[in-house]
Amino acid sequence: MSTHSQPMKRLKGLAIKRSVGELIFDNLNILLMVAFAFMTLYPFWYILILSLNEGKDTTMGGIWFWPRKFSLDNYAFVILNPIVINAYKITILRTVSGSLLTLLVCGLAAYALTKHALPGRNFVITMFIIPMFIGGSIVSYYVVFAKLGMLNRFWVYIIPGCFSFFQMIIMRTFMYTIPPSLEESAKIDGAGYFRIFMRIIVPLSMPIVATTLLFSAVGHWLDFYTNMVFVGKRSLMTLQYLLWLVVRAQQGSLNALTEEKAMGTGNQGLLRQQVTPESIRMATIMVVTLPILFIYPFLQRYFVKGVLIGSVKE
Amino acid sequence: MQAGALNKRRFSSVLSTEWPLYLFLAPAVVVTILFAYLPMFSNIIAFMDYNIMAGWMGLASPWAGFKNFTKMFHDEQFWPLVWRTFYYSVVRLVTGQPAPFILALLINEVRNRLFKRTVQTIFYLPHFVSWVTIASLAYWFLTTDTSGVLNNVRQVLGAQNRIIYMKFPSNFPWVLAITGIIKEAGWGTIIYLAAISGVDAQLYEAAKIDGAGRWKQFVHVTFPSILPTTVILLIFSFGGLFASNFDQIYNLQNPMIKYDTNTINVYVYYTGVQSGKYSAAAALGLFQGVINATIMLGVNWFAKKVSGHGFF
Repeated sequence: MSTHSQPMKRLKGLAIKRSVGELIFDNLNILLMVAFAFMTLYPFWYILILSLNEGKDTTMGGIWFWPRKFSLDNYAFVILNPIVINAYKITILRTVSGSLLTLLVCGLAAYALTKHALPGRNFVITMFIIPMFIGGSIVSYYVVFAKLGMLNRFWVYIIPGCFSFFQMIIMRTFMYTIPPSLEESAKIDGAGYFRIFMRIIVPLSMPIVATTLLFSAVGHWLDFYTNMVFVGKRSLMTLQYLLWLVVRAQQGSLNALTEEKAMGTGNQGLLRQQVTPESIRMATIMVVTLPILFIYPFLQRYFVKGVLIGSVKE
Repeated sequence: MQAGALNKRRFSSVLSTEWPLYLFLAPAVVVTILFAYLPMFSNIIAFMDYNIMAGWMGLASPWAGFKNFTKMFHDEQFWPLVWRTFYYSVVRLVTGQPAPFILALLINEVRNRLFKRTVQTIFYLPHFVSWVTIASLAYWFLTTDTSGVLNNVRQVLGAQNRIIYMKFPSNFPWVLAITGIIKEAGWGTIIYLAAISGVDAQLYEAAKIDGAGRWKQFVHVTFPSILPTTVILLIFSFGGLFASNFDQIYNLQNPMIKYDTNTINVYVYYTGVQSGKYSAAAALGLFQGVINATIMLGVNWFAKKVSGHGFF
């Protein structure tokens, strides 16, 4: 007993007892972490409290950490605004349909390319790789989309980006880990490729299916570029572009939210009371940003896993 | 076995059994042709006096040879644009590459599990926010309005005036660097933390028994273990040396400094899509595309040589 306990004690002592230098480092490190966390969170917090403050009161300044005159008027204006509601609808629609389409297109291609003996396989892969090096500039895309009749159509949100070579490779890497014997025995039972894909490959690829959906969904939710460049129609406006119009593009006016359509809803009365364009902008930021900030922490570990699956290939 | 058999069969008989696989590939192939190859080929409008109404796809437009390129090289905007595209990319590289590396090492040294997980969640958060939002937050940090945080802090500290931070193009690289770090540094730690957690625990045990403190453990175990990952990520990052981040720059610009902070791809958007000068913009875009492709091929070659891994 005693012969064993001596070195054990020493090891334990090494693990727990910290030298002065280490103690200083640990505390400094925690301080640094807190500082960076503060830098990250405070801007969001600041806009949140200002958006919850009475607009006129905010203009007097001096608000730092807490609303001074709590008010939900700003949110009432934004949330009840039909343009915002429509942007929400469009964004959700494109996020759901777009990520499902990405999953389908990438998944099918990935499965087909796990078959090394498929004639033409290398040709197809080369064909996918070349555009990763050289593509068109925004002008060429604009011209092509214009000529394909895709400007101002909902499709432009989901179709052009639905195939990602990178995502496909990640899916394929995962599919390689599915034992081929499963597929072969299904084949012997008379299952065709469609059935094998739907009944064996997809159910066994659930982790990568979830990852693809999550990353694709985030990409769709955050995309403002496609809307800005290719879609001018108000009825197809997405949340991020709406936010850009409200906050960035027209400093000083709220045209994006107060055009005729919105007028009839009684919002105008609100506008004359305690809200200001500034406070409306801040509420809009929160209305667009908060949902994803609330959902993300619950899905965090899947995202982290996804990054790591993706980096295996690199 | 089955694979070999497949190879020897004639294509027609392959097709009779394997056609579903080609069907599976079809959507990806069609999308690639339409939305990658067509735009790639429409780069030829850089060699035309492009008129979008002239014939199918505007392809009946008259040829212009290298006229658009000669014009481009003589444009007084050209060299400043090239320089800025390069400069902003270097700023992003120099700040954006070390930040997640250092942050990951510091996170790794945190001992309290709950604290560690909490700060990680916070650090990852801005990755899930668009540049539109980040730019809006930055706006209220820098503005001279009564809500401008930075000016308010200055006044609390005794300053009398309020500075119009967004008026000076020289502040722009700083804005890019800081917003870039806040948005992506946390997310970038994931890959380093994974590399660190992959280090064999026995190495640490051995180091401890040899009397290594935490600093020595870091120098002799942690650092060498994650060096390969770091080097690969660094090499890959050079691929972006001439590719500026459109979303970031476009969103953080404001009318006061717009013309002094444009990079090539932002400028191409303004001239090509907004002003409709298709050919001029396409020439500039192609110029950037060719340089980018060259850099990427070089980086890919170098990465393969050094580490055995390319982009794919």
